[in-house]
Amino acid sequence: MSKYAIELEKVSKSFQIEKSRRPSFIQLYSKKTKLSVLDNISLKIKKGEVIGIIGRNGSGKTTLLRIISRIYEPDSGKVHVNGKIAPLLHIGTGFHRELNAKENIIMSGLLLGIKKSEIEKNIPKIIQFAELEKFTQMPLKHYSTGMRARLAFSLSLQVNPDILLVDEILAVGDKKFREKSYEAFLSFKEQGKTIVLVTHNIDSNLKIADRVIFMKNGKINLIGTPDEVISKYSEDSPDKE
Amino acid sequence: MKLGIIWTALEPTLVFILLYVVFTTIRDSPQENFGIYLLTGIILYHVFTRGTISGLTSLRSNSNILESLNIKKEFFPVVACLTTSILLIVQLGVFFGLMPFFQFVPTWTIVFLPLVIGLLMILILGFSYILSIIHIYVRDIQPLWGIIVHALFFITPIFWYLDDIKKGGLGDLLLSIHAVNPIGQIVELGHSIVVFNNIPTFSEWLYATVFCFSIFLAGYFIFHKFESKVTEVL
Repeated sequence: MSKYAIELEKVSKSFQIEKSRRPSFIQLYSKKTKLSVLDNISLKIKKGEVIGIIGRNGSGKTTLLRIISRIYEPDSGKVHVNGKIAPLLHIGTGFHRELNAKENIIMSGLLLGIKKSEIEKNIPKIIQFAELEKFTQMPLKHYSTGMRARLAFSLSLQVNPDILLVDEILAVGDKKFREKSYEAFLSFKEQGKTIVLVTHNIDSNLKIADRVIFMKNGKINLIGTPDEVISKYSEDSPDKE
Repeated sequence: MKLGIIWTALEPTLVFILLYVVFTTIRDSPQENFGIYLLTGIILYHVFTRGTISGLTSLRSNSNILESLNIKKEFFPVVACLTTSILLIVQLGVFFGLMPFFQFVPTWTIVFLPLVIGLLMILILGFSYILSIIHIYVRDIQPLWGIIVHALFFITPIFWYLDDIKKGGLGDLLLSIHAVNPIGQIVELGHSIVVFNNIPTFSEWLYATVFCFSIFLAGYFIFHKFESKVTEVL
């Protein structure tokens, strides 16, 4: 087994984008521009390392996560992943608005690859962590966005992956919940799991990162310690977020 | 949930009652067992329509899952097809449940019904593969397919008989369309074994089987050719 959890070798990705919105069939033949999203990215992430990725909107952060989790195939370059990945790219993958919290936990949990018996065992724990004890029977459509995100996040902590990919979903919930999720990340780190955290603002969670990557226009601009990179990023963004 | 099953059963039943009343009124002397003839056609057609439509939307309606998980894309049209088989079971209940009202007792040739249904499911899956991929690239296929299945309702011998067709001219045209209409072939096989009590000849079986399997294989091939691009186009 390699000591690396994720290896990217000269990965590039571009999308074909229509110049403007065209009605339907015509779209197939309309002129397309090539938008390069990832440009020759090489990256090695060690097992047990916590990596933060920071960058402005559209700098290719999410595309990078999708390449790692094999949702997109790269145009060129190689991707090697050692271990089971849990991608948390969306709030509540597979959530259904008509079902209640318990049913959604089971459904989404199955999609994330947890065994049904294991999910059922952990339902009270998940609901307690999400602070949703009062709302277990309510269909999800009446939940607020924050509640939904809390449920999704609590569920994802039950996934027992080797590699955790997290895209922005921490930016939800109130201060108390964010502290809780920070602790959860710390315990994941202590268990020796590889974590890739993506964010576009200077998040307190970046403190736990061993290395932070600053992405700009589809390229890796800088890799370094959290403090280094955050200060560079703050200088670089005129409108500080 | 339970109400859903009732609607599933009710929809073809109501369509059947409507058509039965209309056609027994405007036709002077309907052929023997016209009710069962009509019912067989409606149910096979209805399963085909519902199956292909849910197959068509299967990828796009699950876009949030496709965009956040690396999941086998083939899952979605196959699951849509399996859901359709539940619909089929309910409708078979309607089918056999309505038979006593027409004092109809099926003969032994009905044992071939599972074969016909098997062909129908393969056909639906084949179309689902093709349509779900097209739906990713061109959304217009959804209303368009709605119109196509509507046209199929008239082209398929559901409320009319193949024998009704007059020789020459438009009649020949209709017959040649019927020859390439996959659901028409299935419905005719169904009519033979349920209403006419005769076993279709080997070549009739072979024709329908080759037809359904080629659509299935074409769909399977197209799906696997384009599936890796699906998440990007979404």
